[in-house]
Amino acid sequence: MANKLLLINGDKDFAGALKTYIERQQYKVVIASTFDEVRHQLDYLSWDIIIADPFLSEDMAACLDSAKKKNSLVQLIILTQRDKLETAMDIFESSVLRYLEMPVNSKALDLALIAACKNISFNIKVSRYSETLADLHSTQDLLNQLFEEVPCYISVQDRNFRITAANKLFKQHFGSQIGEFCFEIYKHRTSQCNECPVAETFQDGKSHSTEEIVTSKFGKQYNVLTQTAPIRNEKGEITQVMEISTNITQIRQLQDHLISLGLMLGSMSHGVKGMLTALDGGVYQLETGLTQKDDDRVFKASGQIKTMADKIKNMVLEILYYAKSRELQYEETTVLTLAESVISSVKPMAKKNAVKLEVSIPKNLGKIDVDRKWMEASLVNFLENAVDACVLDRDKNDHLIKFYVKKNSRNQICFTIEDNGIGMDTETKDKMFTLFFTSKGSQGTGLGLFIAHRVIKYHGGTVEVESEQGKGSQFYICLPFRKPDNANNVEFPMANH
Amino acid sequence: MKKKILVIDDDLNIRDYLVSLFNDNGYEAYIAGDVKEGIKEANKIKPDLITLDIEMPGEWGPRFYRQLSQDPKLKNIPVIVISGLSGHQYAVVKAVASLTKPFDREELLKIVKETLN
Repeated sequence: MANKLLLINGDKDFAGALKTYIERQQYKVVIASTFDEVRHQLDYLSWDIIIADPFLSEDMAACLDSAKKKNSLVQLIILTQRDKLETAMDIFESSVLRYLEMPVNSKALDLALIAACKNISFNIKVSRYSETLADLHSTQDLLNQLFEEVPCYISVQDRNFRITAANKLFKQHFGSQIGEFCFEIYKHRTSQCNECPVAETFQDGKSHSTEEIVTSKFGKQYNVLTQTAPIRNEKGEITQVMEISTNITQIRQLQDHLISLGLMLGSMSHGVKGMLTALDGGVYQLETGLTQKDDDRVFKASGQIKTMADKIKNMVLEILYYAKSRELQYEETTVLTLAESVISSVKPMAKKNAVKLEVSIPKNLGKIDVDRKWMEASLVNFLENAVDACVLDRDKNDHLIKFYVKKNSRNQICFTIEDNGIGMDTETKDKMFTLFFTSKGSQGTGLGLFIAHRVIKYHGGTVEVESEQGKGSQFYICLPFRKPDNANNVEFPMANH
Repeated sequence: MKKKILVIDDDLNIRDYLVSLFNDNGYEAYIAGDVKEGIKEANKIKPDLITLDIEMPGEWGPRFYRQLSQDPKLKNIPVIVISGLSGHQYAVVKAVASLTKPFDREELLKIVKETLN
């Protein structure tokens, strides 16, 4: 498109000749010979180039100055009498592209116009570039905002699994750990995880997903669903990997409830089937007894029907007991009875696996309030895990589990369970009480210690763990002798905690 | 001569029921409460048919069947599984029938009759 040129000159003939000359070079030229015309043209139209005699009027300088302010890209060429050039230079200084004297040298004019055109096309490029840059900035801001505000944990990692960037939620829960290793921050480990989706993405460039249990900076455990995506450079090489983790802890808790319910229904339905068969048997005996006038059979049958009715009643109560939230069923029992019962449950398993038991249960520890069924199951679970830890250990020939019971200085009863099995790494130690976490692969359900720990917690007790990989583990389980004050508000096992 | 049926079940009430049912229908019923006792009784009385529960304390039903089928004198005795355990039909695949507790009385008698004839 032709550049628009305003030619300001009081000499109409000269201006006309110049216009004809310039128009040959594909410019669209308008002449302004009076100050009013100049003002009109500058106020209402926009110009690419102005060739002006600044001495057309006294106000020309101010008028040109304001035109330049209005459109900073306009190319100003001064064309005036030789004796006025210096004055013009004093007024306009470097804001003018060229100073030409009248009568104009056509070559000087051509060169000035070429320079003006170059400036114009350069200015257009600069202005396009600025617009692109502004767009880029706003896109970057938007992406940055998305990255920061997405309700997931996002981290970007290099090939060494060092975090190079992290979003707001990640920083809130795991700290601003730029430069640290992912496995240290997420899992409190000292080495890379066995199955790492980030490593896999670096290898094949595809997105990978896993379910993990991670530990926040406050020591809280989260179940997360992790997905990865490669970040490539301009050559298409993967330089970093983005890891996006969604917190699914609540979903897992819900599943926990459903699984408990499923397990309970499974075991109950088997019992119900047996009872219904026996009830059916009772009815048969009653019918045939009456037909055969066999009083003994009738008598026996009515007893059987009654027994079955009682059993079914109890089972229904038990279903309610599981399905509804319930309080722990506290009863007073001696510590000795509780501990001995626990040991007798574990003995066969220990013996079968050639693990020795060293037991110390003083007889004078008195009585304790517990839900005996749950407490026994919980302590047995801790001991069974100790046996498992010994079975898995191939380095030592002899395995021993110590089970000590004593009173501590805070008037609590403390069970010490110590084994010389495989021990635990930091990750296992951190997560052992988390739902569905298991270090036993397909052999474990991730339910046992989770429930066992809950039982202790709901009794107002505590569990402390010390462990060294390859050497063994010690569990210190301490319980108050009496029911805690808030015990009545505690629901088990269906409570959502 | 009456055909002999051995009932193996750990539930006393169900054993009584099956014994009455079989005796009332012209059979001679015997009982065992677990796998060990079942093998002992089977050797002693040489039954014509065995009903077998799956889930019992100690060893479970399929183990009884394995021992039975390894004994040349007992291996041809037909076995009917009667269990409340889900998936019991897969526990003893060579059983003549697998019935779910609570079972249908007429159906059981029909299977027994067909098997013994």
